[in-house]
Amino acid sequence: MSAVGPGVARPSGPDPVAGALGSRQGFSPERTRGGGTTEAWRTFATAVRLGWSMEANWTDPALFMIYSVAKPVSAALILVAMLEVVGGASTREYRSYVVTGSALWAFVTSGIAGLAWSILDDRERYRMVKYVYVSSSNFLLFLVGRAVARALVGAVGAVITLAFGVVLLGVRFDPMAVDWLALAAVSAIGVVVVVSIGVLMAAIVLQTRQEAWSYSEALAGALFLVSGAIFPLAGLPAALQVVGLLTPLAWWVEGTRQALFADPVSGIGGAGSAWETITGSLVPDPPTILLVLLVTGGVGTLIATFVFRVSERRAKDRGLIDRTTGS
Amino acid sequence: MSEVDTVRPAFRRLGPDDPRAAADWGRRRVLATELRSVRGRAYPRINGLLREKSWVFFEILLPFLTTSAFVFVYRALQAPEEFVGFVVLGGAMTAFWLNVVWMMAAQLYWERDQGNLELYFAAPMDLMSVLLGMAIGGLVMSSSRAIAVLVIATLVFGVSFSVDQWALLLAVFGLTLAALYGLGMVLASLFLMWGREAWHMTQAMVEPVYFVSGLNFPVARLGALGAVAVATVPLAVGLDAMRQLAFAGGETYGLLSPGIEAAILVAMVVVFVAVARISLRSLERRAREAGRLTVRWR
Repeated sequence: MSAVGPGVARPSGPDPVAGALGSRQGFSPERTRGGGTTEAWRTFATAVRLGWSMEANWTDPALFMIYSVAKPVSAALILVAMLEVVGGASTREYRSYVVTGSALWAFVTSGIAGLAWSILDDRERYRMVKYVYVSSSNFLLFLVGRAVARALVGAVGAVITLAFGVVLLGVRFDPMAVDWLALAAVSAIGVVVVVSIGVLMAAIVLQTRQEAWSYSEALAGALFLVSGAIFPLAGLPAALQVVGLLTPLAWWVEGTRQALFADPVSGIGGAGSAWETITGSLVPDPPTILLVLLVTGGVGTLIATFVFRVSERRAKDRGLIDRTTGS
Repeated sequence: MSEVDTVRPAFRRLGPDDPRAAADWGRRRVLATELRSVRGRAYPRINGLLREKSWVFFEILLPFLTTSAFVFVYRALQAPEEFVGFVVLGGAMTAFWLNVVWMMAAQLYWERDQGNLELYFAAPMDLMSVLLGMAIGGLVMSSSRAIAVLVIATLVFGVSFSVDQWALLLAVFGLTLAALYGLGMVLASLFLMWGREAWHMTQAMVEPVYFVSGLNFPVARLGALGAVAVATVPLAVGLDAMRQLAFAGGETYGLLSPGIEAAILVAMVVVFVAVARISLRSLERRAREAGRLTVRWR
């Protein structure tokens, strides 16, 4: 990707301005072009460090860990309690299913919220968005960097919830049965998918008032329905199942389950599911899951980036970048 | 009502322009000012509903989908149909809890960051009026969400209610809201003292409270933990009572009788409002002494 913006011709040969000013004055020609790999990395690394400082510098690590883990573990416990209330043989096989789904959702929720809250935090509370925006840093890259800390907290919460499920909730887990390569592949794509949904949420929040703090949680909660995270998609009406099949998160959750457990309950397929009707196979195999995850994730990322650019332009036109609200 | 009418007789001879008379307000004037404060603080919340159209989608339609997900969990497990009603009622009540946590408990902390808190303390009004205004505005906001979730989910999932004691059900509902917002007032002052930790407390108080309150299942199934929750968390006791009063066979799953749970709610309202008043007074005094009213982002 060119470091020069669209429509701007990069001069060939030595930069005359840089030469005239000399390096003594700290002039960076990359800053005028607003890009460059070094500049991008510096922006990202600084944003990550800033995000982590803001997230974690107020307390001791033990207390911070309790806060970070209480949420996903409680979410898993709610579902396990629901299974226990109903009782019966079928609830046993669903236990691994709901614990895995709710653990992964801790990462989804924090990953989506991270980007949206970065805008709200910096615009409404610290009132820094306008300064970041007019700097030479890539705004989107800065937001992604700011969200890394929160996503990391979510990821740690997910791992601890899974461990909690294995140790205390009777989730059957065999480390030798894990397909580590498939797990690494779906996890890597899953991170991109979650970040792209976060970018979409950031685009929305850029247009809204301060009340949007809970929007990201609302979106993550709604995606619960069509992702097969806590119940198989086969339980939904056919139209909603198709929506689920187009959602990359559903494939990410399915791929992670298949990589983690031997012979898990499928969230995508199953008897009478839309998947079975469309493809004729009962459950999707791992290569299919990876392929569909790549395609849906790629399309989703492109759409999210496009929507963010449109939103950014509109926010700039309407003076929303330095707006503060309250209620 | 003229200003002279509101000045106590002992000060009238000083004349309306005398600062001593101007500073001495009669009860009617104090009351009128407090009511104006309540209205003024509720106004942006109620009016904000109309100004932010996206709110309808994100705060009404999407939460309905979240509630639906839990309904489908029960459907997948072929659970008894009354459990679907439990989830729908729980989903509706989350609107109030989220409002209490985000827009009551954390609100004074936000207000300080925005620079409004010092104005509240400097204005001739009680901070309780500000909190009451927030609560009323928040109630209107969250009621619209709760009603939407309840109505849409009832229609979509065919939930059937069976109410014999309407008066008790409405009383329990009203008491639950009063106790929830009373707790919100207590938390508002605590969160202000805790500073930045409040932000994390806000998040930590959602799912864990849902769990101990038995949001999607009967709280009695949690045993001793459920009993503690019913004694301390308004959402837990209110939901348990309302489920027993709203669904046929609901009493099978109740922890205590609805009458006793209504009495617990009354006690909660009294305690929470009293504690909120005391903690706000204490907070105000300490904030003035330590000069921390204007210290932001801590």
